[in-house]
Amino acid sequence: MTEVAPVWKDERYSRQTRFAGLGEEGQKRLANSRVAIVGCGALGTAQAELLARAGVGTIRVIDRDYVERSNLQRQLLFDEQDAASGLPKAIAAANHLRAINTSIAIDPVVADLIAPNIEHLLNDVQLILDGTDNFETRFLINDFAVDRNLPWVYGAAVGSFGMKMPVIPGRTCCLSCMKSAAPTSAQPTCETSGVLGSITAVIGALQVADALKILACGPESVAAQITTIDVWSGEVVQFPEPPANPECPTCGRREFPYLKGGYRAPITLCGHNAVQIYDETRTLDLRELGERLQAAGSVRANDFALRFDIPPYQMTIFPDGRAIIKGTVDIGVARSLYSKYIGD
Amino acid sequence: MKIFVKLFAYYRTGRFSAATQEYPTDTRVADVLSRLKIPEKDLGIVLINGRFVELDQILKEGDELSLFPMVGGG
Repeated sequence: MTEVAPVWKDERYSRQTRFAGLGEEGQKRLANSRVAIVGCGALGTAQAELLARAGVGTIRVIDRDYVERSNLQRQLLFDEQDAASGLPKAIAAANHLRAINTSIAIDPVVADLIAPNIEHLLNDVQLILDGTDNFETRFLINDFAVDRNLPWVYGAAVGSFGMKMPVIPGRTCCLSCMKSAAPTSAQPTCETSGVLGSITAVIGALQVADALKILACGPESVAAQITTIDVWSGEVVQFPEPPANPECPTCGRREFPYLKGGYRAPITLCGHNAVQIYDETRTLDLRELGERLQAAGSVRANDFALRFDIPPYQMTIFPDGRAIIKGTVDIGVARSLYSKYIGD
Repeated sequence: MKIFVKLFAYYRTGRFSAATQEYPTDTRVADVLSRLKIPEKDLGIVLINGRFVELDQILKEGDELSLFPMVGGG
């Protein structure tokens, strides 16, 4: 009987195991690693593809949203068919990642990461990669990671500019050391100011380089350094992270305000012209709901989400009771549509 | 005194990328923000000569001040 070679000895990783920084030992550690990507947009898809190709054993992809045509310019894994089908990003990403590498486990989760579900979604991973598009979720990840002594890598981009910072609890500062709370003012976002696919690809790739190093060589191996890049002007600026702040509510005083803050507001602005309503107590039967809604507008559904068009609005409804209502930033209008078509 | 101010990301919109500006002695970082109409609440990182500083830090002649916003997209 011939012995089956272990997965990390697969020829597909030969160029990576020949790289002195990793070697076969590093590849074996990657194969036994478990990573969560929170947010599967432009950063998250770049991270997911690179991690999958690199042979990271288990990749959990968490995202609350669905694929849209406006994502295709920069979100690497998705195609026109995904957008036309309105597939949740986590599911569409998992389909493509499985085609890229069948020897690893992909665990897609269609959900909004919030304090009540973070323990369930992140308790078994060794590392968290930030692919989110908002600070509320980043501060929540930061609280959880510091509390559990888990490394995570912040990444963000807007326009042609991006930034990357690894957070290694106990060794580096954390996100709350730099800013004690999420900014409350309206900030330029990818929806309002645009974003280039090249900057999100660069930042996602830098986050993955830190991830591979942390997984293969340990959290102490990455530099406590912030990297900023502007791909349009060509500027790269790097500087050491500030020291951890003893008065930091997260890593200094260990109060974990976002983790203990309980539930996220049930209604949040979501992107440029959309509102998310999250009614956590509800479980919806999408098939039944779809049949009911057909009388009122056009309905398209798959196993993971239902899209209901009632011009000028479009509702995307998920089985956990969550809905994204596009076409308004008026919370009252969104709440009224939710009540009218889904129920109070 | 002369301060070399560098702005990053969307702080450049309607302002400048880098400029040498004249400020009175004992100017703090917060005073520069106020002159540039950059709200303190969305400020991300402030560096003087490549090192992190707080908003009440007083600038010296010839300092290089870098201002980065919090960047949230992804």
